[in-house]
Amino acid sequence: MTDSTHQFDPERDLLLERVVDVSPDLVWRAWTEPEQLKQWFTPRPWQTTGCEIDLRPGGRFVTVMRSPEGEDHRNEGCYLEVVPGQRLTWTSALAPGYRPNSGSNIGDDADLPLTARISIEPAGSGTKYTALVLHANPADRQRHKEMGFHDGWGTALDQLVEWAKQQG
Amino acid sequence: MPNQSAELNRVFQALTDPTRRAVIERLGGGSATTSELARPFDMALPSFTQHLGVLEDCGLVASRKEGRVRTYRLVPQPLESAEHWMAEQLRIWERRLDRLDEHLLKMKDKNR
Repeated sequence: MTDSTHQFDPERDLLLERVVDVSPDLVWRAWTEPEQLKQWFTPRPWQTTGCEIDLRPGGRFVTVMRSPEGEDHRNEGCYLEVVPGQRLTWTSALAPGYRPNSGSNIGDDADLPLTARISIEPAGSGTKYTALVLHANPADRQRHKEMGFHDGWGTALDQLVEWAKQQG
Repeated sequence: MPNQSAELNRVFQALTDPTRRAVIERLGGGSATTSELARPFDMALPSFTQHLGVLEDCGLVASRKEGRVRTYRLVPQPLESAEHWMAEQLRIWERRLDRLDEHLLKMKDKNR
């Protein structure tokens, strides 16, 4: 997923940019060392109780989040791109070893899969980093599930959403 | 989140049917009665009203009965769910990066 293969789509992607007064090395470590990541990844009162990182393309990126009630939620994904100190890309759509996630991982109640890319570069005495988060389109996802979906429906939905917006 | 994605699924499910999509598009032009909506379709009325029931169950349309006439209107909210979902994801990531920045400054202090 380089810049030439991806075009930012504001309808379903997020792009966040931060400048922070620390060295690029610290930003890289915060994303790639389990003991660091566990300290900030999950909002309190939730906790990140587990984190496994196998830092290579196809390697596992697993986080276990514990709810305030003590229930554990395991999120398993894999890295797609690892450029030390500069770029880290992973997806929750694939399990370690690039095997597509299936079954419970993408059930109705699951979060939609995402692909995230963190880019890190020096900026003055500090660091600029960006997080690009790509989502599947909920409509695309449903289209795959429903064999009866017709071509041209995308346009109808666009019109519908446009109309809905006007109704405020 | 889980509830919202279940709601979205119901909405998209309801919209897989061409008759129901046509009804939605028709209602996009304004409210209409059952018979006005049924007119373009070569379909028994009970089958047609079943379609209206599906749309109403998932909240895409709402109806009001006056005497013997039931009038349907489109409800925009379910269609906006997708947008709300994106706004929620943005909030989650903003907060995550807030915590990261805070943590980075702590790491920096420790490294000194």
